[in-house]
Amino acid sequence: MIRAPLVKALGALGSPTHQMASRAVRTSAMVAQTPAKAPEKIEVFVDDIPVQVVPGTTVLQAAAQIGVEIPRFCYHERLAVAGNCRMCLVEVEKSPKPVAACAMPVMKGWRIKTNSDLTRKAREGVMEFLLMNHPLDCPICDQGGECDLQDQAMAFGSDRSRFTDINYTGKRAVEDKDIGPLVKTIMTRCIHCTRCVRFASEIAGVDDLGTTGRGNDMQIGTYVEKLFLTELSGNVIDLCPVGALTNKPYSFVARPWEIRKVSSIDVLDAVGSNIVVSTRTNEVLRILPRENEDVNEEWLADKSRFACDGLKRQRLVAPMVRMPNGELQAVEWEGALIAVAKAIKAAGGQIAGISGQLADLEAQVALKDLLNRLGSEVVATEQGFIAGGTDNRANYLLNSTIAGLEEADAVLLVGTNPRYEAPLVNTRLRKAYVHNELQIASIGPKIDLSYDHENLGADAALVKDVCSGAHAFSKVLEGAKKPAIIIGADLLERADGAAIHATVAEYCKKLKKPNWNPFNVLQTNAAQVGALDVGYKAGAQTAVKAQPKVLFLLNADAGKVTREQLPKDCFVVYIGSHGDNGASIADAVLPGAAYTEKQGIYVNTEGRPQQTLPGVSPPGMAREDWKILRALSEVVGKPLPYDNLDELRNRLEDVAPHLTRLGQLEPAGDAGAAGTISKSIGGGAIDIKLKELRDYFMTDAISRASPTMAKCISAVNKQQRENEAKQSVAI
Amino acid sequence: MAKFLGINRLTKLFQMVREAGGLKQAYLKLYRNDDLKIGTLVGIDKYGNKYFENPYYFYGRNRWIEFAPHVNMDYDGSMIPAEWYGWMHYKTDLPPIRDGCRPKYKWIADHSENLSGTKEAYYPYSTTPNKVEAWEPKAKKQ
Amino acid sequence: MSLTMRIFTASRNGQRLFGSHGARLLAAQRAEPKDIVEVPKGYVYVNNKELSMEFADITDRAASTMFFGELLRGFAVTLAHIFKEPATINYPFEKGPLSPRFRGEHALRRYPSGEERCIACKLCEAICPAQAITIEAEERADGSRRTTRYDIDMTKCIYCGFCQEACPVDAIVEGPNFEFSTETHEELLYNKEKLLCNGDKWESEIASNLQADHLYR
Repeated sequence: MIRAPLVKALGALGSPTHQMASRAVRTSAMVAQTPAKAPEKIEVFVDDIPVQVVPGTTVLQAAAQIGVEIPRFCYHERLAVAGNCRMCLVEVEKSPKPVAACAMPVMKGWRIKTNSDLTRKAREGVMEFLLMNHPLDCPICDQGGECDLQDQAMAFGSDRSRFTDINYTGKRAVEDKDIGPLVKTIMTRCIHCTRCVRFASEIAGVDDLGTTGRGNDMQIGTYVEKLFLTELSGNVIDLCPVGALTNKPYSFVARPWEIRKVSSIDVLDAVGSNIVVSTRTNEVLRILPRENEDVNEEWLADKSRFACDGLKRQRLVAPMVRMPNGELQAVEWEGALIAVAKAIKAAGGQIAGISGQLADLEAQVALKDLLNRLGSEVVATEQGFIAGGTDNRANYLLNSTIAGLEEADAVLLVGTNPRYEAPLVNTRLRKAYVHNELQIASIGPKIDLSYDHENLGADAALVKDVCSGAHAFSKVLEGAKKPAIIIGADLLERADGAAIHATVAEYCKKLKKPNWNPFNVLQTNAAQVGALDVGYKAGAQTAVKAQPKVLFLLNADAGKVTREQLPKDCFVVYIGSHGDNGASIADAVLPGAAYTEKQGIYVNTEGRPQQTLPGVSPPGMAREDWKILRALSEVVGKPLPYDNLDELRNRLEDVAPHLTRLGQLEPAGDAGAAGTISKSIGGGAIDIKLKELRDYFMTDAISRASPTMAKCISAVNKQQRENEAKQSVAI
Repeated sequence: MAKFLGINRLTKLFQMVREAGGLKQAYLKLYRNDDLKIGTLVGIDKYGNKYFENPYYFYGRNRWIEFAPHVNMDYDGSMIPAEWYGWMHYKTDLPPIRDGCRPKYKWIADHSENLSGTKEAYYPYSTTPNKVEAWEPKAKKQ
Repeated sequence: MSLTMRIFTASRNGQRLFGSHGARLLAAQRAEPKDIVEVPKGYVYVNNKELSMEFADITDRAASTMFFGELLRGFAVTLAHIFKEPATINYPFEKGPLSPRFRGEHALRRYPSGEERCIACKLCEAICPAQAITIEAEERADGSRRTTRYDIDMTKCIYCGFCQEACPVDAIVEGPNFEFSTETHEELLYNKEKLLCNGDKWESEIASNLQADHLYR
């Protein structure tokens, strides 16, 4: 019955990761209270058990150290202390009143009683007040079964009610607010813990939510009618201890006790957020974040959380082959594989492969092996990168690491918008900005990053200015303890991308500090780093230039390859999960599995390999991608030497041993590619693909198929139209 | 003395035959109902079933139904509608005509017998749409 | 003793049919049958006893067999029952008593307005010990919480009644009907429509049962 935040608090000093966590977490209260030098510990007694704590520790944290759980609603270890729910009241000996454990720092020799009569009475009183105005609609509440209020009412509330008048009509009722297509509000259930308000202003950097009114009239809301539109809005659902904020697409769908949970990895951006996929009856119902201090803390971006309904739309459920009349027609696996094998035999080695955004590492290795066996070396990623830069791993990684960026004190963003390309990297930057005096500048179009930053301009020549040390911001970077330069992956597709890359890499050698690599490329595709690691060339044009007779598109849906670029007789084979750009130009469509349906390794932008686990089985006749390639190799007569995932992983280990050490980060050396410095940076403005929130929601085959994401875009558009209308009225 | 000789039973038999409307009718009734009993008519439901009661018989046999004539020999135990069900099963002594508490909503459906084995029998079907929406290839080869 | 009385009593004890003389003829109790083995004191031998081998007993037994004594007595029992009131009820014309709490065929109820009661809280699904209930829910167009699938596998159901106990809105009930046997297995896989239809059909009786029992809830 103990809910996740409580468990976390209990184990706060138990495991090494948690120790790291509590060090990394800086609430403003803690920052103010923690002196710089290692302080002397003081002794307090929690339920007569002595515990040594550093000064400034709150009563709640001290109790958590010895595993005593103090109930709380408003306290959250990643948010500032508010102290307004009063659920954590405990008795302290010789104190005339019970104290709020979450906000009160311990004093030497305090005797804290977490289970005394006074404490219990205080809790029961608080609970009684909360339940007085809380509706008894648990049966229709989506939080039912995973509700802090339910659990704590059971554990700490009174066992009988004094609220006997069933005809009482004075219960507080609050009108529901429409804050967007992702978060459903039932404000009558709100207990005013203000966690959502604090999250919005502290973590998301959007001061849209607030409280109005006092006492019984207090309301959480946006004051003026407005949508709460941010790329992190889904996290307030997790934070809400009651059912006031719930998941709108998931509303009424399932109960927590009937769902199966699978720990997996998100692949819709390159952060590789750890997720829990909730499934039931072979259906992905919702996605929740899983705690990983090194990657996503406990947050999750909205696309990763809400695009899961795209997994049920536009799916490829049967192999298809293009008939002579030009129509794709569903066939049996046998027919499809034979059709592809015939084309391969006819091609005589003129074969190429393009791996897209969502391809898993196993399929990439299998495709490369298959093509090599068929006499072709042309395998490329769909997204471009600098030519010849893929040999050095540091060239395409986020070398400072995601967690490391939190410690940075000067950051230059070059042609990237981390807010929408990697929202959880942006939260790290924002955290550093809030707690670490981080100075941020960007080169590129003017964007809103949810924190103040200096826009140096959009001209690419500025990169040279900064990197030569002539620019004003160079002084900031050079004076910083932990400077970082982040380049957008899309920027490097430019003609002068290699030059920008080389210039920055050269400058970063100068900025380098011990244990700190300032050179960062922020990837946007989950499959990119893995593909480059196993030897894929960068850029779809590499494959197009080879003018292949057979072209394999492995999840390649970005539309970078068109039929016109290919020879007329080119046979295009699409392997993937969704009917999108790739499948519509294909001559043979082999249905693959989406990321919730297969066990596959993905390497995130900092080079951390992590694996997804299957929560559901692939729909219809769809199969795991590498198995399709394995079956195809058998039909072609060049069987691949692995029959199961373990053997394939062994092969992967031969290719790139660091990619099988799941969850571990392999430090890369200095960035820099030979022979590229000669090129000079051309002029012209640097552009960013994802400038606004509306660009964020649909970036890949899964999110393009998602109705929820479509709703988000129309909500953003609607909000903008309304704002414009208001402004024109004002004028 | 009549009782002693069992003559009362004979008079009862004559009475039953007379109530049934003659020997032939009595025979037909006996053939259809497997029994020939006399009792007071408590009510007739809207489907034409007649309900009788005679406390002379022991508990369990003192209430009975004569199924509507049109079903002929195709009568079935499940033909008793919900209103009369409680009375037939001795749950209440109030026949529905005298029971004011019975709800009469307009959405209450007509009674139907157990239709298993007939064409109208219920067969399960899914009430939900398909979980996975398949992609329909539209574009022709460019 | 009247003839009918005699016929009635034949089934109860045969001797009286033939008067005292017959009793002597039929009863073979002049000599106690012996136990086959020696039985220690305090124990009772329950197996077949050894038959008496005295001449009178042997002839009695032979006479009884020769004149079809047991057979006739059996016929007499049967004959007597023709004139007796039967102890069984004449289903389907007569029905046995049922309690208002009888747990029969399931039904989903409606509010008096005709709105379905079920709010898809899934407590019945959770409590069902046979896991016979399957529920899927989503938001209806008007924003209310409703099921899209409410299936009960009546062949799994053990009629424990936990579902109706768990239901916060009295939506799922086990109605009074027990005459829902089917010819095929699949007809017993009820879906939401069937259950709602049951509710519409049986509402009068279900409501009256709940009314009868409301004081004990």
